[in-house]
Amino acid sequence: MTVVIGFEGSANKIGVGIVRDGEVLSNPRRTYVTPPGQGFLPSETARHHRAVILTVLQEALDEAAITPADIDCVAYTKGPGMGAPLVTVALVARTVAQLWGKPLLGVNHCIGHIEMGRLITHASDPTVLYVSGGNTQVIAYSERRYRIFGETIDIAVGNCLDRFARVLKISNDPSPGYNIEQMAKKGTQYIELPYAVKGMDVSFSGILSYVEEAAHKMLDSGNCTAEDLCFSLQETLFSMLVEITERAMAHCGSQEVLIVGGVGCNLRLQEMMDAMCKERGAKLFATDERFCIDNGAMIAQAGWEMFRSGHVTKMPDSWITQRYRTDEVEVTWRD
Amino acid sequence: MAGVCTENNQAPNKLAFNLEVPFPSECLASIALNSLAPDREPRRGGITKELLVTGSVLTARWTADEARVLRVSVGSFLDHLSLVLETMEAFGPPAEQ
Repeated sequence: MTVVIGFEGSANKIGVGIVRDGEVLSNPRRTYVTPPGQGFLPSETARHHRAVILTVLQEALDEAAITPADIDCVAYTKGPGMGAPLVTVALVARTVAQLWGKPLLGVNHCIGHIEMGRLITHASDPTVLYVSGGNTQVIAYSERRYRIFGETIDIAVGNCLDRFARVLKISNDPSPGYNIEQMAKKGTQYIELPYAVKGMDVSFSGILSYVEEAAHKMLDSGNCTAEDLCFSLQETLFSMLVEITERAMAHCGSQEVLIVGGVGCNLRLQEMMDAMCKERGAKLFATDERFCIDNGAMIAQAGWEMFRSGHVTKMPDSWITQRYRTDEVEVTWRD
Repeated sequence: MAGVCTENNQAPNKLAFNLEVPFPSECLASIALNSLAPDREPRRGGITKELLVTGSVLTARWTADEARVLRVSVGSFLDHLSLVLETMEAFGPPAEQ
């Protein structure tokens, strides 16, 4: 029996989760929500996490009904992500690991998403689309690495959506992406926006500049509604993601797609991806908001796999890093 | 906790700041050091930071070119230190090995 506790706080969500042999025992989380029109900055986000992390940690232990003695390993997000929040979380993880006398394990945030997706959906060897506010990558496992087949060459798709929400002062509660999705359902008009697939990769900053510039003009002229813009933006962004996922599937001969990351909660994205999968006779896997959105249990789950295959992080090597490529980690727990 | 700001004899243009934090035990001072030491200073020239433990006292020493940079680094360190102390308070004492 192996019990791992995982700490996650690389963006505006702070979560602590406990996993025991494939069972999620607890997974409490808090989100730092900013007022409409504002994004979240590193120092304020770190301050938010710092204020709640010890409470969330206690909640995780209480809900799981376990004591520190029961824990085998303390996992935390080593990176990638925002520096100040990552440090805040790492400090607590390092301290409790030492207080409890348990080994420490630094986990790659992207791999956390992948391993939780694999656990929850039982997808065997999918092409993974990892889409969030901070990351957009198409990943497939090959020979001991999660290899990046395609990615954004500038900003993440979630970042594009979040910043578009700021232009229209759409609420950030519970998340800007969620509110864009609800508004998009009421859109009736498709407005053509730039489409930027670059081979295996995608680009979103051009589309963002375009809508930032054009949104107010279009709305003021009465030619379209905010709902139409939300709808059109989603259709465009998600088509791009479906295209690069399909391209990777064709290269890998893959019959499974797994969507992970906060943007993966979006039902329209799932619908569009499913349509493409059906055309190819492939199967789509996705998780719900408990596991799509950043959470502690996904770090615990990746930690569980890594710990059982012999990984451990020595304290002096436990520094956090804002840049951490998915393919930097040797995936020793898979063949 | 004593803070001293002096001119460093070897490099007359550098500011120096020393902090001494007493802990109830050597063990806790070491735990704090191990938690605080790994992360590098955010990429900034003109500042150095050294952490060490002697007995049950954690010592932090800075040298910096500019007071502003020094202030930011010391401020961050104190925030981080206080989080480590709160964690120790809430989840300590250290388990028997």
